[in-house]
Amino acid sequence: MYDYLLVIIGSVLLVIGAVCDVLGALGMNRFPNFFVRLHAATVGVIGGAFYPLIGTALIAFGSEFLGTYRWFMGGCSLVSAFLILILAPAGSHALARAAHKSKTAIVQPKVVDHLEEDGGVK
Amino acid sequence: MNIEALVTTVISYTIPIFVIALILYFIRVLKGPTLPDRVLAIDALTFDLVVFLAALGIYFKSPILPITGVVLALWAYALDIFIAKYLERKEMGE
Repeated sequence: MYDYLLVIIGSVLLVIGAVCDVLGALGMNRFPNFFVRLHAATVGVIGGAFYPLIGTALIAFGSEFLGTYRWFMGGCSLVSAFLILILAPAGSHALARAAHKSKTAIVQPKVVDHLEEDGGVK
Repeated sequence: MNIEALVTTVISYTIPIFVIALILYFIRVLKGPTLPDRVLAIDALTFDLVVFLAALGIYFKSPILPITGVVLALWAYALDIFIAKYLERKEMGE
């Protein structure tokens, strides 16, 4: 009974993650400049990679046909899910700071740039 | 419906969706005007690939695939930090 429940929850998370992933990818293509694309990257990475990995972990835990490998693969997906949760924001934040400081990413439809007014990134 | 049939059908329906997302990210990698755009798209693409590997690992019942996903996630982060260091101080921290 529990295996069936785990697999159902896992596959629901996987499908939601896949939809989030396509939305993030669409946003990545349609947004005007780099700093707006950071939002699309967050949706695409956290919604499209963290949740499906929790989903695959639950599917792996619930699927009997994998035998002893299911704990192995479930644990592996949980570890990479935790890693992505920590690394993705840190990496994109470092990238955004460097992009703004080195002025390679131009703020195209610019209404106001408070970071520039405060004298940029020290 | 036994669990194996359910799992294989679910994963075989979500794999094309992930492939579509991969292609869209790759379009942004090719099109991206500035370097940070490309690196951001590659970052998102790599984390998407990690999920792809985990799902395929379950689909093909081979436990080695999700392990490569863990290393891939670490490499995507390292790429971000290298590019960030390069953009700020024109040095790669070696």
